[in-house]
Amino acid sequence: MDRLKEILEELQPEVDYETCENLVDGRYLDSLTILSLISEIEDEFDVEIPTVEIIPANFNSVKNIWTLIEKMRED
Amino acid sequence: MILSSSSTTKGLFDVLTGGEPLSYFNRIYLFLFLPLVVLIYNLTPKRFRPVILIIASFICFFMMSNKLIVFLILSILSIYLSGRLMNKVDDKTEKALKKCKKTEKKVVKEKYKKKKKIILVLTILINVAFLFYFKYLNFFAGNANIILKWLNIKYSFQILHHLAPIGISFYTLEALSYIIDVYNSKIKAETNLLKVTLFLSFFPQIMEGPIARYSDTAESLYSGIKVTYKSFCFGYQRILYGLFKKLVIANRLNILVKIIFNEYMNYSGLSVALGVIGYTIMLYMEFSGTMDIVLGSGEMFGVKIPENFRQPFFSKNISEFWTRWHISLGLWFKDYIFYPVSLSKPMKNLTVKARKKLGNHFGPLISGTVALFTVWFLNGLWHGAGWTYLFFGMYHFFMILMGNIFEPLIIKICQKLHIDRKKKFYRVFQSVKMTILVFIGELFFRAPTMKNAFEMLSRIFTKISFKTVKNGELLSLGLDIHDYIVLILAIIFIFVIGLLKEKGKNIREDISNKDIFTRWILYYALIVIIIVFGAYGIGYEPVEPIYADF
Amino acid sequence: MKNILINLLKSILFLVLLIIILELITIMLLPKYSIKKYGFQNTVKYEILQEKPDTIDVIYLGDSLVYSSISPMEIWNQYGYTGFDCAKAAESIANTRKHLEVAIKHEHPKVVFFEANVLYRDPNKRPWYYRLKSEVFSVFAITKYHDNWKQIGIKKSKIISNVNKGYVYMTKLSKYKPIRKINNPKRLRPIPEGNIEELKKIVKICKDNNIKLVLINNPSNKSWIYSKHYATKKIAKEYNLEYIDLNLADDLKIDWTRETKDKGDHLNHSGAKKVSAYIGEYLFSLGLLEDHRNDNKYQEWNRAYKYYSEN
Repeated sequence: MDRLKEILEELQPEVDYETCENLVDGRYLDSLTILSLISEIEDEFDVEIPTVEIIPANFNSVKNIWTLIEKMRED
Repeated sequence: MILSSSSTTKGLFDVLTGGEPLSYFNRIYLFLFLPLVVLIYNLTPKRFRPVILIIASFICFFMMSNKLIVFLILSILSIYLSGRLMNKVDDKTEKALKKCKKTEKKVVKEKYKKKKKIILVLTILINVAFLFYFKYLNFFAGNANIILKWLNIKYSFQILHHLAPIGISFYTLEALSYIIDVYNSKIKAETNLLKVTLFLSFFPQIMEGPIARYSDTAESLYSGIKVTYKSFCFGYQRILYGLFKKLVIANRLNILVKIIFNEYMNYSGLSVALGVIGYTIMLYMEFSGTMDIVLGSGEMFGVKIPENFRQPFFSKNISEFWTRWHISLGLWFKDYIFYPVSLSKPMKNLTVKARKKLGNHFGPLISGTVALFTVWFLNGLWHGAGWTYLFFGMYHFFMILMGNIFEPLIIKICQKLHIDRKKKFYRVFQSVKMTILVFIGELFFRAPTMKNAFEMLSRIFTKISFKTVKNGELLSLGLDIHDYIVLILAIIFIFVIGLLKEKGKNIREDISNKDIFTRWILYYALIVIIIVFGAYGIGYEPVEPIYADF
Repeated sequence: MKNILINLLKSILFLVLLIIILELITIMLLPKYSIKKYGFQNTVKYEILQEKPDTIDVIYLGDSLVYSSISPMEIWNQYGYTGFDCAKAAESIANTRKHLEVAIKHEHPKVVFFEANVLYRDPNKRPWYYRLKSEVFSVFAITKYHDNWKQIGIKKSKIISNVNKGYVYMTKLSKYKPIRKINNPKRLRPIPEGNIEELKKIVKICKDNNIKLVLINNPSNKSWIYSKHYATKKIAKEYNLEYIDLNLADDLKIDWTRETKDKGDHLNHSGAKKVSAYIGEYLFSLGLLEDHRNDNKYQEWNRAYKYYSEN
C-alpha cells in the first residue's frame, strides 16, 4: 500500500492521499492520470485491471484502489 | 370533387400547439400532457403504472416521428433479445465449466466468450447501422459525389431526403451501453421486455437525453412509485427554473445570435464577439434548461435521472469542462471508447514501452492521445454529419492534448513565479481562459460553414471598434435596451445560483425549508418573471430545440 | 385522505391566487382608458378597443383567413390608412356581427371588409376546442401582451398596445401544390340556416353608420371553391354590395409553393404582403380615405410600424 501511495505521489503530487476520498469525483485524477496509474499498477503488482473495473468508486481513495488490486490478485 | 373543404378549421392538436415546434417547452407538454400522464399514472394500480409510462412515451414518440417509431422498437428488441442470448451463453458456460477438467477451463471460457462477442458485435452493428442510415449517409454520399465529380466519373450517389427518428443519437447510445454492460457482466440481462422498453423510451429523456445507464434508471422507472404532492411540486419547481433559462435568456439571445451568424459581415468585431459569446450562453441555457425540465419530469415519477450539467463554467480547463457539460455524453465516451481503446492490448504494450523512454508523464500520453483522438472524432461526428462538427471535435482534442503536454511546464513556471495554483485569483484566471476557449469551440459548432467560422473569428480580432457602443450598433441587433437589461440581470441570477451550488449549497432544500408564505412569494415571483419577461409570442420567432437535432 | 384534501385545497388556492396576480398584471399592461370604459374581459376579447378612439379607417371582419392575409401595418406604410383585423379563428357570423357592433361603438370606420368564407360556416359545427381555447386564453391573456412591459413608464398617450393590429405574423413555409377546381357556375354552395339573417344585420349596421361594406374572399387554396364564389356573387348582387374575390384576381398571383404557412390553407407573411398591397391600392382607388402618415395625431402608428418592420 505504501508503494501505491508512492506511485500516486509521483503522478499527482498536489493531493493528500491519506485523507482524500474523492480522487476521481473531485477531479484530482483525470482520465489520462488514471491511464498512467493503471499501467504503473499493472507493472508493479503484476495484475491485470479490466476496463469494466475502471469506475470512480474503485479509484476514489487509496484504500479502494488497494482493494481493487487485492481483488485482481485473487482472480 | 372537393365538397368537404376544410373551411379553415384545424384539428385539435394543431389548435392546441398553435403551430409551435414540439419540444419540452411546449405548453401542451408542460401543462396538459405531463399533468394528464401523472393523473392517469396515479389512478392506475401500481403494477400497471410502468405500462402507462410506456404508452405515454410511445404516444410522445409517435407524435414527433410517426412511423419511424418502428426503428425505436427494433432497437429495443435487438438489445433485449441479444441480452437474453448472452444470458443463455453464460448459463451454458457455467454448465460446461462444471463438467470439464481444471486444465480445460480456460479453453472452454474462451470458446463461450467468443460466442458472446459475436452477439455483441452483431447487435452493435444493427444499431449503428440505423444511426448511420439516418444521420450520416447523406453526408458521406454528398462528399463522395464531390470526389466523383472531381475525378470526372459520371456516377453519383442518391441523396435521400428523410427525417430521422427523434432522439436516435441519444437512445442508440443508451442501447449500446446496455448491451456492452451485459456483455461485460456489469449488469445482468433483463428478462422483462417492458423494463428494457421503458428504459430506452421514457418520454422525458427521448428527445435530448441524458444518456442514462440501465443501472441508473431502469429499476426506479419500473417500480411504479406514486407521484406524491411533494414530488409533483418539486418537479414543477425544477421545470420552472428550466423555463426561466429558456424563455427569458435563450430565446432572447437567439434573436441576436441569428442576426450575427447570418450577417456577420455587416457588423463590427465587437458585435460579432457578442454574438459568439451569446451563442455559448444561449446553448447552455437552452440545453441545461431542457435538462431541468427532463429531470423535473423524472423527479415526479420518483426517477432520478442523472444530472447532465454541473456548473461547467467554473471548470479549470477544457478537459474538466467536458466532465461538467453534457456529462452523460462525456461519461459514455470515457467508458465505452476512451478506456477500451487506451487499455486495449496493443495500446498497453505501447504504453509500457513508451514509459520507459519518455517517463511517467509523457509515456501514457501516447496511448491516451490515440484514445482521445478517437473520442473527439466520434464526439464531433455524433453531433452531426458535417465538417464544422468534425472540426469542433478536433479542436477539443487539440486543446485537451495541449493542456496535458504543457501541464508540467506550467506547474514549473508557476513555481518559479511563486504563483499558488490553488489561490482564488489563479482559479478565476483559469476559468476565464477556459471559457474563452469554449466560446471559440462553440463558434465552430454553430457556424454554417468552416469558411464562415474563420471569417467571423478573424473579424473579432481585426474589426474591433469601440465606436460600436456609441453609434447604436448594439441596438440594431434585434434587442433593445430593455432586452439587454433583462439579459444581464437574468444571467447574473443564474450565475449566482451556480456559484452557490458550487459552494455546496442545496438551494432547493433551503427553499423547501422556508415557510409557505415565503415559498409561495418566490414561486409567484418566478412565474411572473417568466411570463412577463420571457421572449415568446408576438414579435418573437419560435425557436426550434437545438439538441433534438443531434 | 385528509392530507389529499388539504393538498388539493392548497393547489387550488395557489392557482386561484396566481390567476388573480396575472390578471392584475395584465391590467397594468393594457391601455387604462379601454379597461375603464369596456372592462377587462371586453378589452382582451375585442382588441380593437385597445386602439385610440376614432382613429381606425378600415375594419377587416372575418376568420383566420383575414388575420393571416391582411396586415394593416403594410397598408399604413404605403398609403397611410389605419386598419384593424377584427378576426378570430373559425369565427361564426353571429360573433362577427357582435364584433362589428362592439367596434363601431369605439371607432368610426369608413370601410368594412367582410370575409365571405364566414357565410358558409355552420355555427353549430364549430369545433368545441376553439371555444375552449379562447376561454383559456382570456384567463392567460398576459401571454399575448406580456411584452408591453417595455412601454411601462412612457406617456399614456404614447402606448402602443397592438403593434400588428390584429394581424398574425408568420414566416413559416409549408409548401403546397395547388389543386385544380371545377368551375361550374350553376352549382351554388348552400348557406347554413340563419347566416343570411346575420348578414342582413351587418348590412344594416353599415348602412346606418354610413360605412361602405365590401365582401371579400382572401386567398385560400383549401377552403375556397367556385361554388362559394358563385353563391357569394349572387348575394352581393342581391344586397347591392361590392365583392372582391382574391382567388380569382388576375393581378394578384399567389405562389402557393412559397407563400403559404400550412399547405395552401393560409398565407404566410410574404403572401400577406401581396394581399395587403392589393387592398391598399383598392382603398386608394375608392378615394374615401385620408393619408395620415404626416398627421401629428397618428405618430404612434409610425412608431408601431418601426417595431413591426423590425420583426
